[in-house]
Amino acid sequence: MDSENKVSSIDDTGSTDNFHNLDKWQVLSPIAILYFGVSVFKHLFSNIIFLIPAIAVSYKSILEHPFVWLPGILLALALLSVFAFISFKVYRYRLTDDNIEIRSGIFSKKYLNLPFSRVQNVKIEQPIYYRFSGHACLKLDTAGSAKNEAKLIAIKLDYAQQLKTQIQQHGQNSEALNKQQHPTADSNEFQSESAANNTTQEIVLNRRKLSDLVIHGITSNRIWIFLGGLAPFYDRIFNYIGESLTSLGINLTELFSLQSHSILEVALYALSFTMLFMLLLVSFSVIGAIISFYGYTLNKLADKYIRRSGLFTKHEVSMSLSRLQMVVQKQDWLDVLLKRINLYFEQSSSFGKNLDSSASSSKIIVPSIKPYESQALIDDAYPDNSLNVLVNNHEFDAISKRFIFRNIVYIFMPVWLIALSFTLLNGKPMLALLVSILFVTLCGLVILRWKRWGIAKDKNFVYLRKGLLGVDYYCFPIYKLQQIQFKQNLLMKRRQLATVKFVLASGSLTVPMINQTLAYELIDQGLYQVESSKKSWM
Amino acid sequence: MPESNFSNSNVTIEQLPTISKLEQQPLSERYAPINRVINLSVILVVCFIASFIYLQPFVDLPAGLQSFLPYFTWAVACLGALFTWFIYAGDNVKSYALRDLDLHYSSGLFFRKVVSQPITRIQHMELKRGPIERKIGIAKLQVFSAGGEMHTFEIPGLPVERAQQIRQFILQHKDVVKHG
Repeated sequence: MDSENKVSSIDDTGSTDNFHNLDKWQVLSPIAILYFGVSVFKHLFSNIIFLIPAIAVSYKSILEHPFVWLPGILLALALLSVFAFISFKVYRYRLTDDNIEIRSGIFSKKYLNLPFSRVQNVKIEQPIYYRFSGHACLKLDTAGSAKNEAKLIAIKLDYAQQLKTQIQQHGQNSEALNKQQHPTADSNEFQSESAANNTTQEIVLNRRKLSDLVIHGITSNRIWIFLGGLAPFYDRIFNYIGESLTSLGINLTELFSLQSHSILEVALYALSFTMLFMLLLVSFSVIGAIISFYGYTLNKLADKYIRRSGLFTKHEVSMSLSRLQMVVQKQDWLDVLLKRINLYFEQSSSFGKNLDSSASSSKIIVPSIKPYESQALIDDAYPDNSLNVLVNNHEFDAISKRFIFRNIVYIFMPVWLIALSFTLLNGKPMLALLVSILFVTLCGLVILRWKRWGIAKDKNFVYLRKGLLGVDYYCFPIYKLQQIQFKQNLLMKRRQLATVKFVLASGSLTVPMINQTLAYELIDQGLYQVESSKKSWM
Repeated sequence: MPESNFSNSNVTIEQLPTISKLEQQPLSERYAPINRVINLSVILVVCFIASFIYLQPFVDLPAGLQSFLPYFTWAVACLGALFTWFIYAGDNVKSYALRDLDLHYSSGLFFRKVVSQPITRIQHMELKRGPIERKIGIAKLQVFSAGGEMHTFEIPGLPVERAQQIRQFILQHKDVVKHG
């Protein structure tokens, strides 16, 4: 096959000058068929999930007629492999000095032309079934929409690495060129410094041990997502558990009946069952964390951060420092107790919006690190930030106490009063008490929320603190702002209060009910820094 | 182009240009009235359809619907009139301001909002004109930054010439030219 020849010509690409020979359209390695097959299967499977309840209900009658579904499944598999094969056959790519072109698609033909200078982010992904053959996928993200991403499937891992450096080098060169045309003192210095560092080795900034990942699994609330997904099946699951327990000689109804056991006994049983259930869920979460973050390393090469992790599919995300939009330090209540921090390096969010905490997300997550490690990483990214000082000295400006008043009096109080009068009129004092307790709890949470809110700024950065039981810190350089909004209703105007919304490429941040003068100060200074610094946000 | 007359004197916050003192420009004077007419006609059409269904002799309606329709019609008419007036009042306070380096849009009757968009952060722009807008010569200017679709900066109801002027101004702006 002539495709073999072409592939081998890629494989022995030892030096970069071979790049110029690659101006022809290339065919993928045949192992790509596997990838196409799996991705189509995944796509189908995500739809099949909706059919599971239907299948579950009628699975007995389905089992009785194997001659109906067996050929059906075989046909589907055959179609799948044909589809995968054709996808592989029509896929062509071409690399030139400064851009990549991809032609793909069976029914709707796609033609993608992506200049390297527009590439935001290069990711290398190695699914488990490629690990044996040493292949990988190269994903190129653009600043545009998520659909505009290029994916090179099944190329040799070392070639992917090489291509990655090539593309990133290109981006840097064009940036350097830009800066030469418009020299500003500090950026030039920065450029030459990073160019000098280019040849140096990757520095390991952080590793995560298995024990850290276990902590991350426990503290991250993936459990609830899992619970939510299972919600439709609760009834079935509990029935099933009940049945299997009965067959083991444990009778739940008898266990929990107050006739045969004392209240203390029943309570103990209930407690131990809940504990067991929670333990099971937590272990799921831990497994999830290990799958995502196994073998986690965060490296730095010149001004680039590289994150590698994954048990089955190995992900590699790299982000250059200039693309970093915001540093977020998140602590859930459990993290606060355990003194651990999840650190996020966020970049433009035009892609991977829904992949929040998974390994394939384009933001760089450092899971469950200790405070001093977090501080070291933040200082490494933003040397002149003062987050640590602000946090330790509690120098954040609180938001107005009207925040408590507004939420309680205008939102919770009316609901509570209506519920209270309704329950009391219907003669249900217990329910009224319950409603009141709920109301008091909510008020407490509002106060807690208010206590967490805080804002601070220095010469180059804006810092934000928020949270409820946990506490999150946000820190971004002012010149990264994309847009600023000033909001004020008439009641706030009377009290000289305002809400400010900062829009960054990675998302928006809102600070409610701060002093009007402070709000104007933030906005005016923000606009001034964006417009006077002339620094690019990318 | 490098700035030759470079200066970098200290700027205190009091010296900065502030958005609390913007030179507000009104939208096209045709914008608010035409919006009112459109809203009113939508409400009229809904009321008309409802009364047509109520009065028509062809099909027998279920009793519940028959008794419900008059209330529905009245409710739509009253609430519609109220909201139209509200939107009209809101349209009249919308304004924009163009400075050398940024663009601002203020709106809201009770909930005031000022959106500020630095020109250097603009990615691309769209001038949108529907059939009615073409008829009366107004246009909607949309400005996109990297902040995502949720944060599209939008000025509705600009006179066409004005919208085109602003677009030209932004396109020829040195900050945009440099980064484009």
